[in-house]
Amino acid sequence: MNLIHVPRLPKNAFDPNRPVSALLKAQIEYLHDAERRLPLRYQSEVYINAVKTEGEAANYIREVTEAIHAAHAEARAARVKAPAKRKRVIELAPVADERAERKRVNQAKKRSRQKPLGKYGPKKKK
Amino acid sequence: MAPGLDKLQHIVVLMMENRSFDHMLGSLKAVDARIDGITPDLSNPDTNGNPVRAQPLAEFQAQLQPDPDHHFPAVDLQIFGGDANRVANMQGFVKSYFNQQRDVAHSQKIMYYFAQKDLPVLTTLALEFAVFNRWFASIPGPTICNRAFAHYGTSFGRVDMNLIYINEPFKSIYDRLIGANPKHTSKLYYYDTTSSTMEVTNLLEHQPELFGTYPQFLDDCAKGNLPDYSFIEPNFNDHESDSGEEVANDQHPDHNVQAGEIYIASIYNAIKRSPLWPNTALLIVYDEHGGIYDHVVPPACPPDQFTASANDTGSGRPFAFDRLGVRVPAILVSPWIPQGTVVDRVFDHASIPATVTKFFLGDYAPRSPRETNADVFLEPNSGAVDAGRNLLSLDTMRTDCPDFDV
Repeated sequence: MNLIHVPRLPKNAFDPNRPVSALLKAQIEYLHDAERRLPLRYQSEVYINAVKTEGEAANYIREVTEAIHAAHAEARAARVKAPAKRKRVIELAPVADERAERKRVNQAKKRSRQKPLGKYGPKKKK
Repeated sequence: MAPGLDKLQHIVVLMMENRSFDHMLGSLKAVDARIDGITPDLSNPDTNGNPVRAQPLAEFQAQLQPDPDHHFPAVDLQIFGGDANRVANMQGFVKSYFNQQRDVAHSQKIMYYFAQKDLPVLTTLALEFAVFNRWFASIPGPTICNRAFAHYGTSFGRVDMNLIYINEPFKSIYDRLIGANPKHTSKLYYYDTTSSTMEVTNLLEHQPELFGTYPQFLDDCAKGNLPDYSFIEPNFNDHESDSGEEVANDQHPDHNVQAGEIYIASIYNAIKRSPLWPNTALLIVYDEHGGIYDHVVPPACPPDQFTASANDTGSGRPFAFDRLGVRVPAILVSPWIPQGTVVDRVFDHASIPATVTKFFLGDYAPRSPRETNADVFLEPNSGAVDAGRNLLSLDTMRTDCPDFDV
């Protein structure tokens, strides 16, 4: 079996300050189009016309790609958490009042635990 | 009886960026005369009318700056050389590159190609497995439209880099496979989220589960979990990651060509070392020629059902998708392919969904006219197999396939 040697890269191969190519500009346009359909809390605040380098393009591309994945993950989680079916019972009035009060308190507690609207959360490790 | 086809269960496609056949594999003509590469007589006139020969002086980086023009009007000039009678002659490459910088000496570099020793991975794979003499870009234009042919079998009438609005019932190859009954599996592996997918953003929006990363591809190979069909994209940009510097490895000018060699070798090694090696075929192909010289005239082809207007092409003429783009490197890898296989049939990127569809699904509609008419590079293993067309033709699996030290 032949083992073929493959040369390693020179250090100067890496240049994130390289001007952004027409190809990357097209990719940014595609992702920008997709980003506009995301819920507001997932949208970046990047002005894509100001992206001038490959490194800046890379940052934007990652942010939008991860946002799309996160938006879908959140939707999937919401589908799994479907509300439990209520049992059919005939409730006496005081019991019904108590149940309603418990529900109000629990909902208030849940709202106070939720994170404020804004960024979708810390970037996940790749 | 075709044991290679009997065992074939996984098709993997890696699509690289913007290099022509002569530029990457032209040197191999000197090694194997059947490979339609560079000969001493090949040249293009410069803007002073002097002939510029093709020479093995290509460099890995920083040579082709600015990025050679590969949009439709420029490629039209490259193919027809400005000939008033529009006879294709492949004589317009130096003139086209001159238009970008008005530098006669610099324009000649578009004729440079790589010596065999400079591309040990690609040239070894070409000589060890099956190299295609006649694989062309699908249209004489840029990346986005050509990659669309690989995913959908058409570019929906587009010849430019603008957003493609999919308004015809031609599903992507991924949608066809996962929507079939019985269901097949398919994945598009991008390098990482910072590189993302170049083309199929609409699929990323609606079906992100179709996507994986390159590390996941390596893991899937190691564990024998490859889907039926995999499409791999390279890293399209230089960026930092948790693992350090990630150098773009798509080989698009002006990214380092050696980075792409390492990437191709890594993918080949991963498949070869996988338990799925006997069951997998890997196609390595380039999306388009990047404006770089090739000597083979692209043939006419059955038109697609779309027409690009003169305004859309920017060349002053409409385009009926009835001519292929410039030739690109294409290599098929499998332990069932005889060493030194050279294929002379005509293919383009529509052959990718055509092959995958025919192999896994059989008859399927609707498909674009271009895809319906495209040749397939893997024969479907149902009924009698045409021995003259089957590239996985060995009766026993090879044990002498190379390894790369990456």
